Amino acid sequence: MTGVDPTSSAATPMQTVLVVDDAVLVRLSICEYLRECGFRVIEAANADEAIIVLQEPNLAVDVVLTDIEMAGTMDGFGLAQWVHRHKPGLAVILAGTPARIAGEAADLCNEGSHLAKPYNPQTLLDRIRRLLAERKTLSSLPPSSP
Amino acid sequence: MVPANGPAPVSEPKTILLVEDEVLIRLVLAEELLDAGFRVRQAANGDEALEILQSSIHLDLVMTDVRMPGSVDGLQLAAQVRAGWPQMKIVLMSGHLMAPPPGVPADLFLVKPYQIIPSIEKIKRLLSGEGT
Repeated sequence: MTGVDPTSSAATPMQTVLVVDDAVLVRLSICEYLRECGFRVIEAANADEAIIVLQEPNLAVDVVLTDIEMAGTMDGFGLAQWVHRHKPGLAVILAGTPARIAGEAADLCNEGSHLAKPYNPQTLLDRIRRLLAERKTLSSLPPSSP
Repeated sequence: MVPANGPAPVSEPKTILLVEDEVLIRLVLAEELLDAGFRVRQAANGDEALEILQSSIHLDLVMTDVRMPGSVDGLQLAAQVRAGWPQMKIVLMSGHLMAPPPGVPADLFLVKPYQIIPSIEKIKRLLSGEGT
């Protein structure tokens, strides 16, 4: 990851990103970058590991960043659907290369589209920060009257 | 100058490859090691570990669970690490064995469940060349 100063705009401390990718060198690279940006990063090698993390009551995850195409019992779409069912409101960013799945991702991804791989670090960082800011804004709004 | 007593400081970040297939254990260990000042690379199994080892990523120590699914368990991984990267320090962790089997290379053997802080101090000493 080069070309971006990760310290230029520090993240709010302890905001947690769950990174799910079965390509270990990609996962390692993006996790290292996000840690340098100030996030707490949890790594999962597949959707099953991600669900174990998300079901752990003592772990608060703010954003899930998941690859779309993953080996195992569930791909990134399946994980996003699980999140929407079991953790409504939790932000999900889907990342992948195949253009054909971009449209499908729009229905699942909070941003309305998928994030193209290989990652552009600044784009990823902007996406995560924007999602977190939106969540913060939403949570600060008073509940709407019936 | 390392004090005679007390914890050995990590003078410059050393990089540990942590290999553990149980995600919550890997998470806790990784965060403890990060808090102790290490750089940590995480692998979910022996195959991922070998992929990292064969990349250009610098590593100082491989810390691996013994019993893992996949084509390479921790004992096989340790043997491959010693053969391919003879200078690499190796830490084995096991909840099933009390000692490494004969012939398996390990600079340090940790029996689960273990106390994390004393274990980290042992790893620091190992990396500083003081022995464990």
